[in-house]
Amino acid sequence: MTKTLLRKFLPWLLCAWLILVTLGAFFYAPSAQGFKGESARIVFFHVPQAWVAVLAFCVNLVASLRYLRKRDALDDARAAAAARLGLVFSVLATVTGSLFANVMWNSFWNWDPREVSIVILLLIYAAYFALREAVPDEERRATLSAAYAVLAFVTMPFLIFVVPRIYWSLHPDTIIGATGKLKLEMESRMLQVLFGSLAGFTGLFIWLYTLDVRLSRVRLSRREREEV
Amino acid sequence: MPGPESLVWVAAVTIVIWLGLFVYCLALDRRVRRLEDGQ
Repeated sequence: MTKTLLRKFLPWLLCAWLILVTLGAFFYAPSAQGFKGESARIVFFHVPQAWVAVLAFCVNLVASLRYLRKRDALDDARAAAAARLGLVFSVLATVTGSLFANVMWNSFWNWDPREVSIVILLLIYAAYFALREAVPDEERRATLSAAYAVLAFVTMPFLIFVVPRIYWSLHPDTIIGATGKLKLEMESRMLQVLFGSLAGFTGLFIWLYTLDVRLSRVRLSRREREEV
Repeated sequence: MPGPESLVWVAAVTIVIWLGLFVYCLALDRRVRRLEDGQ
């Protein structure tokens, strides 16, 4: 009963939360200094998108490792669902970053280390789906893509956290600095909205991921019944 | 430099995108639940 109520109630709460965050991003948080116009407000969407992409790739790794250990088809579905969402949120982070770049530096693309590294990461995870499509046998596909996902994940921290800090970059200072320490030098209202947005986007990821996995579970059990 | 009225527009478009995404996901949620109940 409580579970059903929660299931019905939570999506609406999430919707209200994200609308509140949007209103906060545009009308509650003050304008950031040192940026052209209101361009810095994109941080409330761009940073959570990048965070969710990293989170999704972590979930992809965990599900892939579980598949390699247990050979459960649902773990393969979990890995694919997480990679799909990771790819979508990486594209969104790239697009919002590019919009910001156009306002700040008059060009959508500047060959900045951070721009290049996220596109390389995008291509690596796009290849994960190319691999899945190329192998018709399901068990073989699941094994190969799980092994590939482990290798792909190894590149992720390097491309997201190391490369952009080695080279000089146009990108504004990140929240996690080069030393790995949190740098929270934002105005408190901006921080409130940013953390609210991070929580909202994480909730959205969990909802979308759960939906995808539930659909896969239905598909798998239907196929099992057909085979019997 | 965008004025306050253009911020209202950007916020309105963002909220419309959120609502569209939620309506789609809620419909999907209902469909998945129906499939789960049908099993």
